[in-house]
Order: sequence, then C-alpha cells, then structure tokens
Amino acid sequence: MSPNKNTSNLPVSWLWGAVAVGALGVLGSYLAAGPERFWANWVFWFVLLFTLGLGSLFIVALEHLVNAKWSVPIRRIPERLATLLIPAVPVGLIALAAIPVLYPGARPEAAHHPLLAGKAFWLSLPFFSVRTVVALALCLLGLWVLVGGSLKQDATRDPAFNFKARKFAPAFMAIFALVVTLVAFDWISGLTPEWYSDIFGVYVFAGAFLSGLAATALAVLHLQDQGRLEGVRGDHLYNLGGFLFAFTVFWSYIGFAQYMLMWYANLPDEVIWYKVRLQGSWHLITLVLAGLHFVLPFFALVTRDSKKDPRRLRRVAYLMLGAHVLDIYWLIFPVLGASPRFSWPELSFALFFLGGILLWVRGAMQKGEDMPVGDPFLREGLEFRL
Amino acid sequence: MPETSYAVLGVFETPDALMKAIPQVRASKLGTVEAYTPYALHGIEEALGLRRSPLGGMVLVMGILGAITAFGFQYWISAIDYPIITGGKSAGSWEAFIPIMFEVTVLFATFTAGLGMLFLLNKLPFFGHPVLSSKAIKGITRDRYVLALEAESEAFDSAAAARALQAAGAIEVEALPAPDRSPFLTSDWVLRTLGGIFTACVVAGLAMYFATKWFPVLAPMKYIQEQPRLNAQKASSFFKDGHGMQQPVPGTVARGYLPTATGTQEEAASLVNPLPRTPEVFALGKKVYKNRCEVCHGAVANGVGSLTAAYGAKPANLQAQQFLDYPDGKIYWAIVNGKNAMPSHAPYLSERERWAVVDYVRALQRAQNAKDEDLKVAR
Repeated sequence: MSPNKNTSNLPVSWLWGAVAVGALGVLGSYLAAGPERFWANWVFWFVLLFTLGLGSLFIVALEHLVNAKWSVPIRRIPERLATLLIPAVPVGLIALAAIPVLYPGARPEAAHHPLLAGKAFWLSLPFFSVRTVVALALCLLGLWVLVGGSLKQDATRDPAFNFKARKFAPAFMAIFALVVTLVAFDWISGLTPEWYSDIFGVYVFAGAFLSGLAATALAVLHLQDQGRLEGVRGDHLYNLGGFLFAFTVFWSYIGFAQYMLMWYANLPDEVIWYKVRLQGSWHLITLVLAGLHFVLPFFALVTRDSKKDPRRLRRVAYLMLGAHVLDIYWLIFPVLGASPRFSWPELSFALFFLGGILLWVRGAMQKGEDMPVGDPFLREGLEFRL
Repeated sequence: MPETSYAVLGVFETPDALMKAIPQVRASKLGTVEAYTPYALHGIEEALGLRRSPLGGMVLVMGILGAITAFGFQYWISAIDYPIITGGKSAGSWEAFIPIMFEVTVLFATFTAGLGMLFLLNKLPFFGHPVLSSKAIKGITRDRYVLALEAESEAFDSAAAARALQAAGAIEVEALPAPDRSPFLTSDWVLRTLGGIFTACVVAGLAMYFATKWFPVLAPMKYIQEQPRLNAQKASSFFKDGHGMQQPVPGTVARGYLPTATGTQEEAASLVNPLPRTPEVFALGKKVYKNRCEVCHGAVANGVGSLTAAYGAKPANLQAQQFLDYPDGKIYWAIVNGKNAMPSHAPYLSERERWAVVDYVRALQRAQNAKDEDLKVAR
C-alpha cells in the first residue's frame, strides 16, 4: 500500500481480521449509535463502492467507444476493478432498508409537505427501490458484456469481441448516464429532497470517473512493483495521469459552476444545501475538499514529467481516492446534523468495507491474465509511444 | 566549399540510420546537432539531447499572473474604487470573480503559449531558414532524413563535420553557406511592420467611422436603438396603462428612508436617537440644519431666521422651555411629519440626516443654556 515493495502486500489474514473486527463494530454501531448513523454509513459505503466500480467500467467502455489502442495493455485493470459492482449489488439491496430511515421523501409525512407532495410518487419507497434495482441490473449487464466478453476473449482469441464491444459501448454510455444520474439523485441528493440541481449527476460522474482512474493507476503501479504488466511504460502512465489531471479540473468546474449559480440566485431551497456545508466544521471540510480534490492534484500533475513519474502518480492516485472519499462524506454526512460525525462507527465501517474491497480486488487481480491477451490490438498498445 | 559555413547537412535514407548516427555525430562535438525529418520520430528529442522547452513554465507563470490580475482588478473595482452592492452580495465577493479569473487565466496562458512559441522560441520573424535553400530540402519534405551539424563559432571546421557525418553513415553531404544577411529581426523589417500595423489601424478606424456615419440604420449599428427595455418618460406597450414608467410597488421603501414615526407626535416620544454623538454626526447635523432649517428657525434655533420677517407664520423658538423639555423622538417626528406651517422634510432627508439634525438642535439648545460644568467639558 506504499511505494515500498515489502509493505505493499498486506497479509490476507490481516484483511480478514479487519473485516471481522469491522463487522463487530458495524453491528455494534447499529445498537449503540442508532439506525440513522448506521444507515448513513451504509449508504456512504454503497455510494463509494458503486462509484468506484462504475467509474472503472466507464473507463473500459470509453476505451472501446473510441477504439483506443494505447489502453489495451492496461485494460484488464479497470475490468477487474469494475467487478466491484458485483458486491455492490447486495450492499445496494441492503441499503434499500435505509430509505424509510434516512430519506424524508419516502416517509408518510412527505404527502403533507408542500414541496414534496408533488414528487411523492417518485420519492416513494417502491419506486425508489425499483429504480435502484434497475440501475444495478443495468450495471451488471454492462459488466457482463464488456468485462465478461473480454475475459472470454483470452481463451477464444476471437476479434469479433472487439467489434461487439465497440457497438455496445455507445449504448452503454447512455445506460451509464442514466444509472449515474439516478443513483446521484436518489441516493445522494434524495437525502435533502427539497434541494435539486440539474448538474448533480455530472458532478457525481466526475468523482466516479476520477476514483476509477486513481484506482486503475494505483493497481497498475502496484502490479508493476510485483514485476507484472511487462511492457507498460511511462507513455501509458502519462495517459492515465493526463486523464486524472483533466478530470480534476472537470470536477472542480462542475462543482464550482453548481455552487456559483446557487450562490448568485440565492433561492432558499437551493442555498440551504450549501448553507449547511458552509457553516461550522463543515466549512473547514469544504475548504479542505477543494484543496485536496483540485488545488493539490492540479499543481502535482501540471508538468509533463509528473504525469509519467510513477512515484508522483502513485501519490496523486492515493490523494484522489482520499479526496473522493471525502467528497462522498461531504455529500452524505451533513444529513446527520450540523457537526461532522467521525468516530468508532465510521472507523468500523471503514475497516469492514475497505478490508472487503481490498480482499475482492486482490482476488480479482490474481485471476486470469494480467492483459487482454486475446485482443488483436494488444501488440499495438504495447508499442504505443506518446 | 566557402570559408564560412552555416551548417553541414548529412542525408540518411531511413529513420533508423538517422537515429543510429545521432550519438556518433554528437560525440564528435563539432557543432550543434539538429535533425530535419518529414515527420516526427519517436525518441528523437532524447537522442538529440534537446532540453525541455521552457514554454510550459512560461505558460504556468503567465496563467497564474492572469488569475491574479483578474482577481486584483475585479476586487479593486468592486470593493475599493467603486463599491456597489449588486444582487445583495457584499462588495468584493470572490465567487463572482471566478469566471473572469478563469477567462483571463486562459487568455494569458494561450497568448503566452502562442506568441512565446512563435517569437521567443521559434525566433520569428525569420526570413527563410538557410536549410530551405539547400539541395536536401526536397528530400526532407519527402523521404529523406537529414542531420545537420550547425556552426557554433567562426572556428567551425566544415570539412571535419562532413567527414564525421559520412563516418556516421550519411549517403550524401552538403555544406550550407552562411546567409548573406541575418535571417533574424532587422530594423528595415521592424519599420515596415510597424508602418503596416499603423496603416491598418488608420484604415480600420476610417472604415468604422464612415460605416457608422453613413449606414447607422443597418444592423449591427442599429442594435443599440432596438433594446427590449423600458424607457423613463416614454410610451411602452408592456404595461396596461401604456407608460414605460411605473409607480413603485405600494409599500416600497428606499434604502435609508425607513417610515418610522408614522403615528402621533406623542407616540414618537419614545423613539431613541440611534446615532452616536460623534463629531461626524454633529458636522452632518450642522450642514443639514444650515441648508434646511436655519432660514426659519435661525442660526441659534431661537425662531428668528432670515425668512421670518417675510414669512407669514412664526417659526417655533426651539430655545423655549417647551422644546427644551421635548424628548428626541418628538423633534424627530416634527422633521418627518412637519408641524403647523412647517412641511415634512422626510422626502429628502435620510434617516441618518434627520437624527443628525436632532442632535445638532440639542447642541444648539445646550450652547444657549450653557452651565459652568459645560465650560469644563469644553476645556
């Protein structure tokens, strides 16, 4: 987990231990800290898991869509990370139980709320659940076609998959836009149903794509440390770094555009969302988020050499993942009140889910080939020069 | 071969041969090694040992400078030089500056990138590179790969350079004579360029002048007359009554003109003067009193002003016991509502000005009935 090779492999037993200890804390937090806090944590980790998996799947689909050759040697990495969408399904289905607890729009009182009465059907528990199930099913469909097909190609070496993926990728882009918007609106901005922002889905997309890129870069560097992914060079890293750089700017652009318009218009039902986040300790977290998610990675990646420097890229990738976690925390946790909550329930959830994610990713990274060996463009991808 | 050479060119048939030759020719240390190829070759920058272009750093610095410039300019305008409240935001709100800062950052950065590349790094204006007049140039633009050993000083040995290139595998060698005149910036060129810019400015200015003078009714010149707006004292079909100018919405209050003291004078007795008793407040009160009150009430508020003789009614003598006993609020009420023949002064005196006058009247009353302790205070 650090540039040092020796410490980079956490023993599996440690990870299982973390999951076990975390599970105890998770159960305890439900009893001791109350259902609201428990479900806020659960939704937080569902969104993180989901954005990480979907962001990775987006990278895969994007590379197929534009018929990219440079990314073929590293494509297996986002493909493996995208399988996180599989554990995201049970986590998401369990999260449905959070709806009556956390989401005001799904409570019976919403029918009498002047602002929510008109959206009552959309926000109601049954339709909310149906949307979530459909979104998860569409993700699995994308995973099955793009990742499953790619894994099968390792054995068949059939170039027909490339054409199939290239045809499916544009359709998946539409699915992706729908799914990411649904999940962003339902699971995140649904926490404050009076508040709405058209651009919010794009904001969550930017974060999801960044988290997928950062995880991909980290996994690539990690596998290279182990002597795998032979042939992946600075030129490939440069493209990953360039994507990271571009999308930190994109994220900030969307985030600030959303804020500035609401700040200017100063409509009560819009600014209330920011008012909570610009008062007390949340104000500090907002500033730290801007620093970690934009200022720091921007200047860390602005020069040409920094994008292909493995040490720099690794640090920025860790930073981006951390910033994404903070971003989701900033989006979800104000629902619990004016002061940010962080103590043993959050740590238990982090142990449980981080341990689980690392175990899953570790397992995925050890299965099958490290590169899509059946892809006819692999050689061209390996010869890629800037 | 002429005495002084600009460079010696060696022609290669394949990119691989060129790449292989570069380290050998560089090792000869006879001059600056430069390559001319029909297309970009991977790895040639490293092989030639080219330094990283300073353009990126220049762009970064100028971009940051653009952001600072835009922020400073907007902050100076909207918070220092002419502070004005728009949209209920405080003067100098940074959020509103960001889009302009972004634009100016991009502007500075792109201008630096474009102009810096052309003029600083590629050294434009540049009249014909010597290589363009070589025999090899046809091959360079087609299917030949050329390595040039460029002279660094007078001591350049073109024969040795030719031998080095041939040893490295060049199939042809060509010595380029030094150009007759400097290919770089000359005073003649500067004069002609500046003259051209000046002429263009004059022509464009005259064209614009006559275009707007002769064709003012054509788009886009007439756009300024066709704005979808309401004009004061002009007809408009927008409102039902056909006027462009409308009464304010009922209950509208201008900033600083709060409708206090709307009841009777007795009710106003409880109003408290919100102003601190500072020299500024007294100076304001004195100014307003002299403008608005003195002609009737007199310089010392004794009811004998310069207009008293010509005016039918007798203005109040504010030094009378009745007025000495008045609370501030009742004087304020009289200013706002008028009393007897005195009209209301509310329409043109702001909240602050009215209370300042009250303070000043208090000062005049005390000055006319000064006690010994007041002398001590004055000292």
